[in-house]
Amino acid sequence: MGDKPTDAVVYHRVDRVAATGALIALAGCVLLPLYVLRANRIVNGAPQPLGAGGPASWGLLLLAAVALVASLAAREPLRARIELICAGGMVGSLAWALGYAASHLTPDPASPARISIGLGAWLAVAGAAALWFAAVQARPPHAWRIGAVVGLATLWLCAGYWGGLGRLSIVLEYMRQADAFWAAVGTHLTLAGVSLGLAIVIGVPLGILSARVGWARAVVLGIVGIIQTVPSLALLGLLVVPLAALGLPGIGPLPAIIALTVYALLPIVRNTYLGLAQVDPAVVDAGLGMGMSRVQLLVRVEAPLALPLLIEGVRAAAVLIIGITAVVAFIGNGTLGVLVILGWGGQVDDLTLLGAVPMVLMAVTADSGLRALGRLITSPGIRMEAS
Amino acid sequence: MIRLEEVTKRYGETLAVDRLSLEVGEGEVCVLIGPSGCGKTTTLRMINRLIDPTGGRILVGDRDVLSVSPEELRRGLGYAIQSVGLFPHLTVAENIVTVPKLLGWDRSRMARRVDELLTLVGLDAGAYASKYPRALSGGEAQRVGVARALAADPPVLLMDEPFGAVDPLNRERLQSEFARIQRELRKTVVFVTHDVDEAIRLADRIALMKDGRLRQYDTPEQLLDHPADKFVHDFMGADRALKRLGRVRVDAIMHSGIPTITDGTDAGAAAARASCAKERFAYLVDEEGRLVGWFDCRVLDRGGSAESAVTHVDWRQMAVRPDTSLKEALSRMLELGFRSIAVTDGTGRLLGDVALAGIEATLTEGDAHAGGGTDEEVGR
Repeated sequence: MGDKPTDAVVYHRVDRVAATGALIALAGCVLLPLYVLRANRIVNGAPQPLGAGGPASWGLLLLAAVALVASLAAREPLRARIELICAGGMVGSLAWALGYAASHLTPDPASPARISIGLGAWLAVAGAAALWFAAVQARPPHAWRIGAVVGLATLWLCAGYWGGLGRLSIVLEYMRQADAFWAAVGTHLTLAGVSLGLAIVIGVPLGILSARVGWARAVVLGIVGIIQTVPSLALLGLLVVPLAALGLPGIGPLPAIIALTVYALLPIVRNTYLGLAQVDPAVVDAGLGMGMSRVQLLVRVEAPLALPLLIEGVRAAAVLIIGITAVVAFIGNGTLGVLVILGWGGQVDDLTLLGAVPMVLMAVTADSGLRALGRLITSPGIRMEAS
Repeated sequence: MIRLEEVTKRYGETLAVDRLSLEVGEGEVCVLIGPSGCGKTTTLRMINRLIDPTGGRILVGDRDVLSVSPEELRRGLGYAIQSVGLFPHLTVAENIVTVPKLLGWDRSRMARRVDELLTLVGLDAGAYASKYPRALSGGEAQRVGVARALAADPPVLLMDEPFGAVDPLNRERLQSEFARIQRELRKTVVFVTHDVDEAIRLADRIALMKDGRLRQYDTPEQLLDHPADKFVHDFMGADRALKRLGRVRVDAIMHSGIPTITDGTDAGAAAARASCAKERFAYLVDEEGRLVGWFDCRVLDRGGSAESAVTHVDWRQMAVRPDTSLKEALSRMLELGFRSIAVTDGTGRLLGDVALAGIEATLTEGDAHAGGGTDEEVGR
């Protein structure tokens, strides 16, 4: 991790992570079904051969093979670029393969027969993700990363319009449940967002207090640490008692927000504290010695230095909360967790997926968005890698 | 300018500073020195109220420091510390204007000030202003730290071992530059160090402290020649004659107009033969007068060629500056095994040289001047 420009990093060794990812994707395509034909939405399906996805399925196979060869034989900076394009292309062509299979195997809208996404397709996505992360390690230009993402998204959108993706079971499931789905997304985002906001408002001052007052640090970090160890369902159960004592309901949004907020506190409080504690005492001494007030020191010096770690804490909290928000469906909140639970209950796998996939997307978006924000607001003087 | 009256600082049972009285005149450099734990840093930090005294009074100008808010007080007192404490998220320029910004200067005035100060501390303003502290070497960071302390042109500078964390060669250069800047600006400086040589070199007056008490407050010469007691004598060290060399600059005894040979020219070869009639060595310079090596006549005497008599050496390796102390010059000579050492300016132009004999003469002069009284006084 030197200050050298990233172009200078030249790997000649095999990219093991990328090779593993490509192998997983290949195995998914060859050994497992990408698509499953079901007679109706509930019954178990029959696996379909790879070729049922039409030309795009062969494209997917080819891209995975190219990625494998590149990860074994190509050199940087070319290798990372090939890997990026293959990863994006694989996920994009998967959309077309799925759409082709759905529209060709179940062409009749009136028929209850469905095409579901098979295990092989998930492996292909997982393999492509591994390929992506391996490629990003070599720090290819941002334009290539953005290009790959845009290409991928375009392929999916086009597959949605023209590629028959609309005949896929999960999409049919969505169309059945569209209103409930969007309501669930809204509730999920609202609960998670409000809780995260509250956690920041409460957690940052607690973090500052911990950094300033020795005895407060032990108390505050101790308490938020203990809360973190309580399992989420148990916490929701435990909250019933104090809320009832106050005459408040033990189910619904209130206990959900309380639980989510306290879970989000630990990463935020701890990182605020760490961010301030890692500020060089000499910097504080110099700031005060030159006539800054405590507030000026905090705002002009300590906050900018602590902010990268704070954002990192918020990021961890956001990802954590998006997950736990699914669980608060158990106490009567219409989050995406409800779709998952309903899907399980009715054995409708695609309904479960309809709840799960958006949660994953939310978590990934929050994660990468906050990472990007962190980079953006971090002064070049304290960025981890010079760029 | 700065007056401490019976200043005391107590931490529980321990007295960190015990009834210390001290006066620093305007434009003077007062160096606080003593063994670690003697209270020198505490004393310095009481002047800008980073520590509040338990008793006594501190006056800066004519104002009691307790009568002003700490922030206002500190903005008028430049502050530089050993660990520098540059703000890592701000550029060099932004670091320098910390205090002007607090005082609400306008942008163009601050920009001009950054240029002035970087030039003053010997850094190229264009190259350094937009750098971040992590791109600076220890010596460069220290210069920026000094520039930052000077930014709002405070009449008083408080410096806590500002050159303590840099390597000896850089420290020597920083000291020379500090001396030059101080001659130019005439600030009232309180300077904490544990390095006796640094104190002797930079101080107008040295305040030697032990266990929170002032043991002697006088000029470096007086401390060396007339130590008040055995502690002062021992602390200043046995090599007092040598230490006195720290007070004399190279240009005081520099010998200019020495023979030089221009490298690689026919005229140079002729000059070499002429010079060899008188001296064994001649300095080798390029067309611009920059030192590039030396010429050893003994090689010619032994029948060697003119080429083999030439030794090329980078001037940075074999020369000192005119404002280097004689003590430093002597130590460089001993290190290099030379009987004389070249003196160049900052670009390597040869100005003259200093011979070991010249330094010896200074030493004996100093001893004669100091007289024999010291030992009797120590014996008291």
